[in-house]
Amino acid sequence: MTDKQWETLLKVINGETIDPIPVGFIIDSPWLPNWYGIKIIDYFSSEELWLKANLKAINDFPEVIFLPGFWSEFGMCTEPSAFGARTTFPPDEFPFAHKVINSSDEIDDLVQPDPRNDGLLPFVLNRLKLVQPKIESAGHKIRFAVARGPLNIASYLMGSTEFLTTMMMQPDKAETLLKKITTYLKDWLHLQMETFPSIDGIFLLDDIIGFMGEAEFKTFGLPYFKELFNENVSVKFLHNDAPCRVSAPFLPEIGVNLFNMGFDVPLNELKKLTQNKVTLLGNIPPRDVLASGSIEQLTQATSDLINSLEDKSKIIMSCGGGMPPEVSTENITAFIKAVKNN
Amino acid sequence: MNEALITQIGICIEKGKVNKASPYPGDMIGQEGSDELTRQALSEGIGPDLILQACNSGMQRIGERFSRNEVFVPELLMAAKSMNAVMAHLKPYFQTGTVKAKGKFVIGTVAGDLHDIGKNLVSMVVEGNGWEVIDLGVDVKTAKFVDSVKANPGCIVGLSALLTTTMANMAKTVQEIKNQFPDTVVIVGGAPLSTKAAEQMKADGYASDPQGAVAFLNKVSRN
Repeated sequence: MTDKQWETLLKVINGETIDPIPVGFIIDSPWLPNWYGIKIIDYFSSEELWLKANLKAINDFPEVIFLPGFWSEFGMCTEPSAFGARTTFPPDEFPFAHKVINSSDEIDDLVQPDPRNDGLLPFVLNRLKLVQPKIESAGHKIRFAVARGPLNIASYLMGSTEFLTTMMMQPDKAETLLKKITTYLKDWLHLQMETFPSIDGIFLLDDIIGFMGEAEFKTFGLPYFKELFNENVSVKFLHNDAPCRVSAPFLPEIGVNLFNMGFDVPLNELKKLTQNKVTLLGNIPPRDVLASGSIEQLTQATSDLINSLEDKSKIIMSCGGGMPPEVSTENITAFIKAVKNN
Repeated sequence: MNEALITQIGICIEKGKVNKASPYPGDMIGQEGSDELTRQALSEGIGPDLILQACNSGMQRIGERFSRNEVFVPELLMAAKSMNAVMAHLKPYFQTGTVKAKGKFVIGTVAGDLHDIGKNLVSMVVEGNGWEVIDLGVDVKTAKFVDSVKANPGCIVGLSALLTTTMANMAKTVQEIKNQFPDTVVIVGGAPLSTKAAEQMKADGYASDPQGAVAFLNKVSRN
C-alpha cells in the first residue's frame, strides 16, 4: 500500500467522506495465482512469482487499495502449521491443514509454538524480508501484521464440529485451547511488527465467529479478540464473511475499525449494528456478481449498492469477503468504473 | 404407553441433552438424556418408530429456532449429538427392517475442504428424519463419491463446501456424478453456495440449512 493509499484509508476510517468512494479488495492465494496465470503451488513456492503477481495487481489497478497488501501466506496452512498440523499442498488446488487434536484430553499437552522457528511462519516472514526492498522501491510498504483468528485456528486444530461441541460440553478445555492460541497469535503479530516497523495495522480473519450465538461469542470470542486487537496501531481490521449480526455490535468494543463482511447483511444495517464506528469494506456478492456476473449485472449491482447507502462515510467499496477465484480484469475494471460513475 | 417418556426424548433432542453425564444444557445438569431415555423406552416396549417421531419433532423445533436465529450452530450440533445417541439404539431396528429408512443419502465435504460443520449438521438431521446416511467425511475426492453412488444405487448425494475456493471441486464432482449416473439426484449446500450457483453446476437442488435439505429429500422421495 502506498503512503497515499494509507492516508486515504485512515481518512475513511476517521469518517471523512471521499468522492468517489474508495475501492478496496482483500487479495490472496484464492485469486492471485489464477489471475496471474500460474499454478497455486508456484505462487507459494516461488517468491519471484509471488512478488510479480502482487506487483501486477497493484500496477494494473493503481486506484484500488489492496488489503492487506503483499500478503505472505500459505493459505489455511500458515498458522496451524506451527502447532504441527500436517499440511497438504496439491499442485493446483488450495492447500489445507489437517487437525492435530483428536480429543479434548490432548489440549493440555499441546506445545506452545514459537513463531520465530515453528511451522511455515519463518518462511512467511523471510519471504517478506527478502522482497521488502522491491516492495518499497515500487512505492509500497508493509502495513499489516496478519493472522487467522483464534476461533478459526482452533477449528482447524480440532475440527470445527469437535471444537464447537467442546465449547458446549467442556468449556474449560475450549478456553484452555483459545488461551494457547491467543498467546501464540500475540507472539506472531508482535514478531511481524518488530520485523517491519512500517506496520501500523492488524488484520485478523475468522469466520467461525459467525456460527456462534451471543452467549458463546461473549465467552469464547470477545475476550480473545479484544486481547489480540489491543495494540497501538491505526488500523484494526477484521474479516468474517460468515453471518455477522451477532458479533457486529461488539466490533467497536473489540477495537475493530475496519470490517470486511459477507454479502448477506446490507451495509446500512451494519452501520447501525456497529454504531457507525467501524469502516465497512463491502459488499457486492463476490462469486455470483463480481466473478461470474456480466459487466451489465456488475455495474447495476454496484450502482444499486451505492445508491442504497444512507451515509457514504466509512465505506470502502468491495465485495462481501475476499476476492474469489476467477474474477477477471474486465470485471474489476467495470466495478471501479461503476463506483466512479456513482 | 409412556407418553411422558417419549415427550422427554423429544425435549432432550431439542435441548441437546445427550446423557446424564453431560454438563449441557446448564438447566438439565444431572438429568437423564436421550441416551438413557431411549434405552428405557425400548425396554418398556415402546416402538422405535414412535421414538423416531419424537426425535423428528425435537429436531424440527430446534431447526425452526435455528432458522429464526434464536439458536446457533453450537446448539444445533448438540441437538444432533443427542439425536446420534438415540440413533445408536435404533440402528439394529433399521438393520432388521423393523424401521424402514426413507432412502439412502450419501454426503461429504468436497475435495480440499476440511470444514465439517454443515456436512455434519445435515447428516445428523437427515438421519434423524429417517434416512440412511452414508457419511464419506471431509476432503472427499470425486472418485470416492462416484464409488459410493455405484455401491448404493438410487441414493441421493449431498455435497458440502464452506470455502469459496473449493466450489470448483464441487462443480467437478457434480459433473462427474451426472456423467456417470445421470439419474442420480445431487443436492449442494454451504456458505458460498446459492440457488444460482447450484443451477450453474447442474445440481438438482440447493439447501441453505439442514431443514431445507430434509424438505428437499422428502420431496424427491415422494416423486
